[in-house]
Amino acid sequence: MSKTIRLGGRLRYPITIVRLLKSPGETVKKQEFLIQYSFKWMKTVGDTIRGETWEEEQTTIADWESPADGELKKWHIKEGQLIERDAPCMDVKEECSHGIQFQGLCGWCGKDMTEVNWAAESRDTERAPISMVHDQTNLTVSQIHAQRTEQELQRRLLQARKLSLVVDLDQTIIHACIDPTVGEWQRDPANPNHDSVKDVKAFQLEDGPRGLARGCWYYIKMRPGLEGFLKRIATMYELHVYTMGTRAYAQNVARIVDPNQKLFGNRVISRDENGNMVAKSLGRLFPVNTNMVLIIDDRADVWPRNRGNLIKVSPYDFFKGIGDINSSFLPRRQDLLAADPVQAADPSSPAIGESKPVVEKVDDAVPEAGNVSALEELISMSGGEDSAITKRQVEEQERTLEKQIKDRPLQLLQEKLDKEDEEAEKTSTPSEDGEETPSSPTPHHRHQVLLDHDCELEFLEQHLTLLHKTYYEEYDRNCDRTKDVDLSAVPDVGSVMEKMKSRALRGCKVVLSGLLPIGVEVERSEIGMQMVSFGAQLRSNISRDVTHLVVNSFRPRTKKMRQAARIPNIKVVNQDWLAECFSRWMKVDERPYKFNIHSDDQLVSDTDDPDENGTGISDKKLIRTNGLRLKLVSATGETHTLNEDGDENESDNEDGALEEEEGLVPDELADGQLSPIDTLKTFNWGSADEELNEFLASGSDDDDDDEDEEDEDVDEDDKEITEYPEDEDMLDRPSDDSVTQSSKKRKASDEDDEADLDENSILAKRLRRTRSRGVSSLRNQYVADDAIDSSLPTPQVTGDEDDVASQLKSFATITTTASQQQQDGGAADNFDDEFDDIDEAELEADFMAEFEAADLAPPAPAPAPAAADASSGADGGDVGNREKG
Amino acid sequence: MFFLHNLERRVTLHPSYFGRNMHDLVTTKLVRDVEGTCAGDFYIIAIMDAFDVSEGRILPGSGLAEFTVGYRAVVWRPFKGEVVDSIAYSVNPHGFFAQAGPLRLFVSSHLMPDEIQYDANATPPQYTNNADIVIEPGTHVRVKLMGLRTEVGEMWGIGTINGDFLGCLQV
Repeated sequence: MSKTIRLGGRLRYPITIVRLLKSPGETVKKQEFLIQYSFKWMKTVGDTIRGETWEEEQTTIADWESPADGELKKWHIKEGQLIERDAPCMDVKEECSHGIQFQGLCGWCGKDMTEVNWAAESRDTERAPISMVHDQTNLTVSQIHAQRTEQELQRRLLQARKLSLVVDLDQTIIHACIDPTVGEWQRDPANPNHDSVKDVKAFQLEDGPRGLARGCWYYIKMRPGLEGFLKRIATMYELHVYTMGTRAYAQNVARIVDPNQKLFGNRVISRDENGNMVAKSLGRLFPVNTNMVLIIDDRADVWPRNRGNLIKVSPYDFFKGIGDINSSFLPRRQDLLAADPVQAADPSSPAIGESKPVVEKVDDAVPEAGNVSALEELISMSGGEDSAITKRQVEEQERTLEKQIKDRPLQLLQEKLDKEDEEAEKTSTPSEDGEETPSSPTPHHRHQVLLDHDCELEFLEQHLTLLHKTYYEEYDRNCDRTKDVDLSAVPDVGSVMEKMKSRALRGCKVVLSGLLPIGVEVERSEIGMQMVSFGAQLRSNISRDVTHLVVNSFRPRTKKMRQAARIPNIKVVNQDWLAECFSRWMKVDERPYKFNIHSDDQLVSDTDDPDENGTGISDKKLIRTNGLRLKLVSATGETHTLNEDGDENESDNEDGALEEEEGLVPDELADGQLSPIDTLKTFNWGSADEELNEFLASGSDDDDDDEDEEDEDVDEDDKEITEYPEDEDMLDRPSDDSVTQSSKKRKASDEDDEADLDENSILAKRLRRTRSRGVSSLRNQYVADDAIDSSLPTPQVTGDEDDVASQLKSFATITTTASQQQQDGGAADNFDDEFDDIDEAELEADFMAEFEAADLAPPAPAPAPAAADASSGADGGDVGNREKG
Repeated sequence: MFFLHNLERRVTLHPSYFGRNMHDLVTTKLVRDVEGTCAGDFYIIAIMDAFDVSEGRILPGSGLAEFTVGYRAVVWRPFKGEVVDSIAYSVNPHGFFAQAGPLRLFVSSHLMPDEIQYDANATPPQYTNNADIVIEPGTHVRVKLMGLRTEVGEMWGIGTINGDFLGCLQV
């Protein structure tokens, strides 16, 4: 094998070859003179001090030294030749290409590769840069050698009709924890968890974590059906272990999973050999090509370069609340699909359907998944970037391990469960935890924390079998029959898998709701990428052609949800459906996962505002409530103030039912329809007035009070609302608006999934138009009401709405009294002046005039929020003026 | 190759140890510090005796006493071309790793007889000639050293089993 050697870039070209010192056939050694050459250059001569210098051309003869050992085969240059630039000069047959190196020693010739000399432009250690052995990092090979090794591997696999499968350990095929509680449960047959943990294996690590966690026991639970799975899979795949645990950990686990070393052999790679603390790479094991390699892992984000080869499995979470004990080395987990293992495992359980389990589930989730708040998610995302320093990570891991030993999360969970059980027994209702194992005959009435429902491996086995079959079918089609193996015909398993996967959800147009943290692009998110890989189309907004809405069952009541409720062909499912599709590689029946739309959302009859639950929120709230008030005015049949909104006039009385069929009415109208009014019924006027005053005075608001009150309104139904006379509505408006304001501000920050602004545009436009129209004397009443309300400590709220007239009278009289002025603080005083001279009759007249005052449909609601909302510049300037008084 | 080698080392002793059995302590400390380490291009296997313990000198500033100890030790210096017995501990398609005492060796598949081939399907994977020779982790192998490299406190070697009487040892 001869190597062509160049002159190198360091010479002072152009050069002339003077002599060739060796002839072909001779052996050359490193740093031996081989060529004499000459070059010309300009030399400055003369007296530099006096400045009398000039340049003279000089010719210098220099020697060129051999950068390589071996036998000189051929010269590419001749004596006397002028060479302008770097060019090949000779072929040398090297004795050794140093293709394998071990700690700076050539594995073939035993020479020290770390020696540096000036004759060679590159170091010999650079000849073998690739590390591709599982259990050593100090053995490196050259590109050529790596290629050859890999071809041999492929040939062997093709002959055996196998593929390579890289298997992750933690949460993929096993779940590990070090909580000593597990050991105690194992030894205590009376414990309800005994059945679950009795086959848990344990080991200790000598070089395990330091400090408190030193010498701790690692408890390893194998995923159900693992043994059979691996045994069968091993006939089709050559298995590798690739874990982020330490070497000792990996080997111990491998010993448990595969006691005879039949499955994994020595093909175990761990964090110690990985060379990267935060990512795994197939290139570490298969540097040249990965056409025959598949990965199973519970995390996709650690395989940034090998997504095509990855089968993401749902994480195995047996020891609840523990997570992955080796995950401190990885970026924070980002997929939020780990919903409820019980349901994910048991698709037949209709638990999601009923509302009660849903509520319970939320409670259950609090200690585990519930902790992952949106904020934390945000922090974790940004934190993922500066992940680096190993030491910090090690410390972090030690901390988490110590914490696990100290806190014993499992014990806590069990205690909590026991407590729940006790309470359940007290009330003697059959428990509905959904926590009970079917396997345990439950002679004990204590429930267990640890359940073993997982059946992911079954599906995984099906997929792997099918993949293997498809792969070799394709190979057989392509390959040249005359040869034993045909490496050129090897298909890429990644594309084979992609073909298979993309059939699963083809044609599904999916919208996600409540599943992703704020600010995460759905296409970039883990779930999004997976969905796309399964052939689904992602949509960000609800529209008519959307087929599925996937909602988070922990945060169910989003705006998209309400929108979807109105389009019958959208199937609203919870995230478990998606998880199930992902794990089965098919579109599973949606029915068991159908998410029961909250009755309020469905009928659009209630005021429960999801915004109050911290779900989907948007600035639209403002508009929504406005739109609603417009409608109310019209609903009472009071003239045609809503000329432009003809369709609304028709629909609003029949609200829910009609709208569901129509599927056309903009969301805001429908769902916000009644809320402000309902709020009024139980509204605490005192606090609202305070709020308003405060707001008028300072522009700030305080949202503590009204949150509670609005929550209480959930169950009210809409009949009562239509009974509200419009006057009442008017009267109530101020406080109502203050609520709207505050809630709007409050929510603006955690706006979630409502990117769908455009849908509101028509309404918004209408609103703007109405706002920009002069706002007239109606505002007088509004202000007056406010003043009056605030002067009455316990206002008339939920009372009879009938005698509005009398109320009005009383308002007026009170208005004329000066007493209110003492109670009203701040800006409210300003208005009083205006009202001092308004008498009862005038007031009434004003009211009527306002309603009949042509087309002024929405003016009433508009001004208040508009005035408050400094950012919405649409409102007339007069509003602001008035406020300033 | 093993040698008896006369060496010298400076040992420091903390003031709290000053007393009658100071020399014993110095020797103990010497043994603890030195035995089993790699000193440049040889390993110090065992200290025979410490024959010359100098008077202690107090180091200014720290108060530690420094003794210069002359001692005799059994050292092992592996040479290129030397034949050593080793135990294989890891096998991969490129070759196998073996350990000769403290020395880690790599024997690449090129430096094996042609009939010995890598068998990845065996459990565990091994080098074998499909007859009497099987090299897998734990096998005793006689290896000739091809190359050596030392760094501070560590040595590595490249070995070959291509030669007469080299290779698998029947235990």
